[in-house]
Amino acid sequence: MALSQFLDALNALESSAVRAFGAAADEPALESARVEFLGAKSGQLKSVQKGLGALASADKPLAGKRFHEVKAAIEGAFQSAKDRLASLADEEASTDDGGPLDPTLPGTPFTLGRLHPITQTIEELTEIMGRLGFSLADGPEIEDEWHNFEALNIPFDHPARDPLDNFYVAAATLGEKPLLLRSQTSTVQIRVMEAAKPPIRVISLGRVYRPDEVDATHYPMFHQVEGLWVDRRVTMADLKSTLRLFATSYLGRDVHIRFRPSFFPFTEPSVEVDFQWGDGWVEFGGAGMVDPAVLTAVGYDAEEVTGFAFGLGIERLCMRRHQITDIRELFRNDVRFLRQF
Amino acid sequence: MIVSWNWLREYVAVDVSADEIARRLAMAGLNHEGTEPVGDDLAIDLEVTSNRPDWLSHLGVARELAVLLDRPLRIPDPRPAHAGGDEARGGGGAASVRVDVACPELCPRYSARVIRGARIGPSPDWMVRRLATLGLKSVNNVVDITNYVLFECGQPLHAFDFAKLRGSRILVREPHPGEQIVAIDHKPYALEPGMCVIADAERAVAVGGIMGGYDTEVAPETRDLLIEAAEFAPLPIRAAVRKLKLRSPSSDRFERGIDAERLDWASRRCCELILDLAGGAMDALRADVSMPRPPRAPITLRFAQIGRILGIEVAPAEARRILGALGCAECAECGASRADAPERITTVPPSWRRDLTREIDLIEEVARIHGYERIPEDAAVPMTPSHRGDRDRLVTRTRHAVRAAGFDEAVTASVVPEEWASAFPPWSAAEPLRCETPLVKGADRLRRSLLPSLLAARSGNESGGNTRIDLFEIARVYLPRAGELPAEPLLLGMCGGRGFRDMKGVIEGLVESLHAPAPVAREFRDPLFRAGTGCELRLGDDRFAFVGEVSLATRRRFGLRRPAVAAELDMDVLQRHVVLVPRHQPVILFPAIQQDLNFILGESVRWAELDETVRRSAGAWLEEVAYRETYRDPQADGPDRKRILLSITVRSREGTLTGDQAAAIRDRIVAAVSERHAGRLLT
Repeated sequence: MALSQFLDALNALESSAVRAFGAAADEPALESARVEFLGAKSGQLKSVQKGLGALASADKPLAGKRFHEVKAAIEGAFQSAKDRLASLADEEASTDDGGPLDPTLPGTPFTLGRLHPITQTIEELTEIMGRLGFSLADGPEIEDEWHNFEALNIPFDHPARDPLDNFYVAAATLGEKPLLLRSQTSTVQIRVMEAAKPPIRVISLGRVYRPDEVDATHYPMFHQVEGLWVDRRVTMADLKSTLRLFATSYLGRDVHIRFRPSFFPFTEPSVEVDFQWGDGWVEFGGAGMVDPAVLTAVGYDAEEVTGFAFGLGIERLCMRRHQITDIRELFRNDVRFLRQF
Repeated sequence: MIVSWNWLREYVAVDVSADEIARRLAMAGLNHEGTEPVGDDLAIDLEVTSNRPDWLSHLGVARELAVLLDRPLRIPDPRPAHAGGDEARGGGGAASVRVDVACPELCPRYSARVIRGARIGPSPDWMVRRLATLGLKSVNNVVDITNYVLFECGQPLHAFDFAKLRGSRILVREPHPGEQIVAIDHKPYALEPGMCVIADAERAVAVGGIMGGYDTEVAPETRDLLIEAAEFAPLPIRAAVRKLKLRSPSSDRFERGIDAERLDWASRRCCELILDLAGGAMDALRADVSMPRPPRAPITLRFAQIGRILGIEVAPAEARRILGALGCAECAECGASRADAPERITTVPPSWRRDLTREIDLIEEVARIHGYERIPEDAAVPMTPSHRGDRDRLVTRTRHAVRAAGFDEAVTASVVPEEWASAFPPWSAAEPLRCETPLVKGADRLRRSLLPSLLAARSGNESGGNTRIDLFEIARVYLPRAGELPAEPLLLGMCGGRGFRDMKGVIEGLVESLHAPAPVAREFRDPLFRAGTGCELRLGDDRFAFVGEVSLATRRRFGLRRPAVAAELDMDVLQRHVVLVPRHQPVILFPAIQQDLNFILGESVRWAELDETVRRSAGAWLEEVAYRETYRDPQADGPDRKRILLSITVRSREGTLTGDQAAAIRDRIVAAVSERHAGRLLT
């Protein structure tokens, strides 16, 4: 057999095999094409291979090389035809009941519960204050008068101590001392300072209690966060700058801080803090320099150290953040409300 | 405190707008609540902090404004004419009325002037309009004048019809037992010891410092007047106001403290206006009874302290100017020598500033007037590390885990109705603490469990038509302890509608995620739980949690229509058992062998017992015991028998386990279950 004849036969075989595999529309068609071209016994490739032996020795290397190329091409065409049919079958994946899947159906419900908006506000504040170096401090909600009043420079005749303005615990006494639900988280400041020496940089937060008629903006239980920093050379400029860093972090943009004079027994000077909101100023909370009487009460030397403290109502911050207009919503615990946050 | 814009400008010349004045006052500490037009006047509402009673008057606000604007303050100089000779101050009995004070601790000073022959009639328009700006109705000229002077200078005054005072006598005393008075609001008030009354020779004629009596009030036919200007001690006034539920502009001022040194100014001003507007003649002698008062102590301000507190320097000259403008009198001879002058200033604060007693008070005054806007907001705040405590970490992780289990977080009140407080008491046998004042109506007990509150919240949700109600709360409860503050353990309460094993699975999953040992369950009976479903979980020896299906009786009590499961966990106990920073254990790369074991057991055998037997007998290669299911086939197994299918996973650190090794483990387990529980392996 002449070399050219052999090569022509190979080329013809290659193109007809590739065509046949490409045209196979299902498994049986592909199988019969496979038997026809690649069958081990009487496949066409096998037949052509037999012609190889009839060639002249000098032609054999070239013919052999070409034969293997064609063989690889035909096998490749078969494999891709097989993959093509497999993926067709895969795409027709069916559901459990045998019908086709509707990929637009909803997924299996995965319910992630929601954290209360007060908690979310607290987490945010704690996180920001943490970055500013304030560690979390904790204290009891039921307090004695020393920690809730006296050490905070609220003397016996101060109006804030009126029994009707506080939740005193009936007949419960610590020694001879009456107990009450704390009316501010500043109690924790006293406990922290009693237990440690300066420098102190803490925040305390949690529930506080003050008798009040319940309405859209008042609830007798609410949450406060308070910051305290005591060290040598802590000044009101540190207070203003810290609050500005805090407000800038919280609001996500550069804001300015304004102090207005105010009065709190445990700070002096005392100020109301506003931050800039659009064109106006928004009340942020109260702040001031720790009153020397407070420093003295916890055994610090007021000539040695100074400090600042600030406090704000979490409900108010939370309500403004989420445009909640009625504080009672926060404590009604309707899941339709809770799931909005 | 409402300020009339027209009135205010009588005392200080103002050339800027009312809005600008309100802003300036706000920046000095008088918070601006709002401004309302009233006729041709403006009513400016200012919030006065409790330390500044001196601001509860037009003159007080004008005094502040004069400092802020650096303008002179124009104060009237009342000199009421009196019949014959110079006015003389008499003691208690020297005047035409005899005044005695039996309770000087309640009434440190009492002064009275008598005007005879006045004509009661309408007030002039200007006064009517000014009082109208403050929201006050005109009564008659004399009553209006007492009100006018009160709002002018802050000193309360009272005009008695002198002819109705029996015995021409004033006795300031505590009430007699059972004594009553009808006040000028026509209501009777029962007086009690500790209060202060003004009495004539026979009866109480006024509740001292709070309100006058109806019997002696100024009426159209009144001719002779006794004008009272007195000082009453703040605390008893406050107590009386509370007890009588009666307050007045006078009591508001006495509660906070008045300027006793300017009391006579107010009396003269009042009398002068009466003589002008109602006519009559004033007695030459006045009665004035007062307790001796210690002189005001001087205060020294070290200028260096200003910068130490404020973080900015204020020039000594400026500090000195501010204190002077505020009425502090520098006193060179008391304390400070001339050589000290550059470093310090020693002053006596004015009589109307009782709040100024310490150096820090003076620093605040300097800061306030110098201006807080001068304090920088961009100081370099030194960095410091902050620490996150384990408790905080644990609570945060718990909160997020429970949330991931599909529970929504609730926040409920700490103080609950009595019936809730007794609904679930397993954490403490002690009676719940009670508040003297209820938090809201009917709720005065400090809770010992969160579950009643969560059940109530669930009930509210059911009423709202909500279907998926899975709530949790992390909060404290309050457990009484003898001799110390109550314990306040932090609890996690959960209440949901997804079944007992779902709830228990959440607890176990939480505990496992925190690397605490698996809690051990035992039965627990409580009326809150349906009988046989209640379960106590222990971590080591600590009682850690309770879980169970809510009983029908409890559901009825809380108005729950649908089944619910409740659980409560002690976070403090959990904290003792968790590993917040776990140590790495190398992952074993050898394959595991899993085997299913299906036991036939008596009904009374609990999973917890079976699980313990399996774990004990399996040996060191046991990796996991997993419960699969329970089913019953009485025909094949006989009565009171159940089948429990479980699977075990075994794996060795040393190498791949052979089939024989796995079979040996399985045989040990089967033998142990047979021995301890009379269980048989179903093959």
